Amino acid sequence: MSLFRHIRSLNALQILRPGRRHLSTASLQYDQDPQPLFTDAETQSLLQSMTQLQLDKVFRKRTVPDNSTEMKFMTPDQLEKEFVQAIEKARHLLQMPPIVKVKVDTERLISKDAALKDFASTKYVFTDITYGLPQSERKVVVRESDGTLAYANLETVKRMNQLYFPLEGRKSYIPRMFTDEELLKSALDTHKYEFILDRATVQYEPYEPEFHNILSRVFEHLNESKQFDLLRSTRHFGPMAFFYAWHRCIDDLLYDMIRRDYLHNAAELIALSYKIHKIPLDYRSTLEQISALRSTPAEKALEDLRNSIQAPEERQRVGGIEQEIHLAIGKTENDFASDEICLKFIEQYIASEHALKKVQLELAIQTLKEVNLEKLQLFKGLKKAHGVNVN
Amino acid sequence: MSLTPASGIGRFYKQSAKIIRFVRQGCTNRPFYHIVVMERRKNQHQPVIEQVGSYDPLPNDFNERLVALNTERIRFWLGKGAHLSVPAAELLGIAGLLPIHPRTYMTAWRNRRKAADEAQAEATSS
Repeated sequence: MSLFRHIRSLNALQILRPGRRHLSTASLQYDQDPQPLFTDAETQSLLQSMTQLQLDKVFRKRTVPDNSTEMKFMTPDQLEKEFVQAIEKARHLLQMPPIVKVKVDTERLISKDAALKDFASTKYVFTDITYGLPQSERKVVVRESDGTLAYANLETVKRMNQLYFPLEGRKSYIPRMFTDEELLKSALDTHKYEFILDRATVQYEPYEPEFHNILSRVFEHLNESKQFDLLRSTRHFGPMAFFYAWHRCIDDLLYDMIRRDYLHNAAELIALSYKIHKIPLDYRSTLEQISALRSTPAEKALEDLRNSIQAPEERQRVGGIEQEIHLAIGKTENDFASDEICLKFIEQYIASEHALKKVQLELAIQTLKEVNLEKLQLFKGLKKAHGVNVN
Repeated sequence: MSLTPASGIGRFYKQSAKIIRFVRQGCTNRPFYHIVVMERRKNQHQPVIEQVGSYDPLPNDFNERLVALNTERIRFWLGKGAHLSVPAAELLGIAGLLPIHPRTYMTAWRNRRKAADEAQAEATSS
């Protein structure tokens, strides 16, 4: 009980101490409105493809009250339907929080009445609680004690909305994690990026400067610690890639993607940076070629789900030896073909003046090429040994 | 005191006089008001027709008094010819929904006069 009291007193102090309420600002901020580029359909599909869809990561066990699982007997048709629903749910869970520009607070006066001066010792805040209004349209007005009536500032509006229509997970005080520099730093140093980002997404509206600041802080720290895989297949990977592409620091992420053999993602990241900075290089034809050869993350996840329940004998009966070889190598002919195209595109990028860490990237590409060549030889050898046609 | 839904459970006659008024909730030394629509002749703690807002007269940590108003329903009931109690009319005037109530001007003027008197008394005594 005393612990609760202690925490409450800490939070109460924070309201009264306005000087300590802000974190130090990050060095990288969006200088223009990023929203039109971010919500663009092409950008979204690129970001979704980069995020990938690893079902065991999306549906991993979380620290929630109920982690129970349910066992059922199903017919193949019901199972198929369940798979499609699971993919749909995963896509929903991976929806990216929007990146919009910071909203500037404007003072909007309604009336000023000098005869009302000193009518009360404090100001009054009026909130319209009409049913069925969206939060953005809810009017909040303030009557100051000197008689001026004006629309409330954004901070007050948010506080009143949270008071009368609470959002689940959002606190009415700012969590100390976001006000105390040391706490945020310790969370960053222990690589709890997803936790910080999730909490910031719930606590702040996307147009608030604090939201942008915390996102920048996390992404900058991530760029130094290079633990990009922690965010892969979460809803924050897209905004992260967009952030790096916008601020011209994609090289570390690119290196990580090449090292993990996600060449199509690397090509998409480069294409995204070309698109954002309007670099006159044709990336669309390359992307089209890649997308023709590869399935989307959702399709791939569905395919994996279907394969995962097949018994080995049945798999051989359905897909034949060819599929068996694909599973053993981890790649198909189409994958090898798309890798070829991606490699050409990435090498073109590394040779251009836009790449900053050329030596590192070249080495990674070289290593990958050797590994890929070995795999291709093994692939062809296996196919030949089993008497399957090799193109 | 049991809680009732904001839509209210009070029975009322079609032609009876309705009033928008405060109902004192809260407890000893801690007032808190519901703004409700009810039959004029009824006691404040009898069932109401509808709750249309709330008013917390004690300033919070940010030194502001909080008022919530369901403006859509208030305008509906005013259009139906509901009466207004003086404190409720004052509050709606301050909110900018109605013209400012004369009593608010009186309070403001008296407060200013009192402050001026005190300032003058301090000036003469020192």
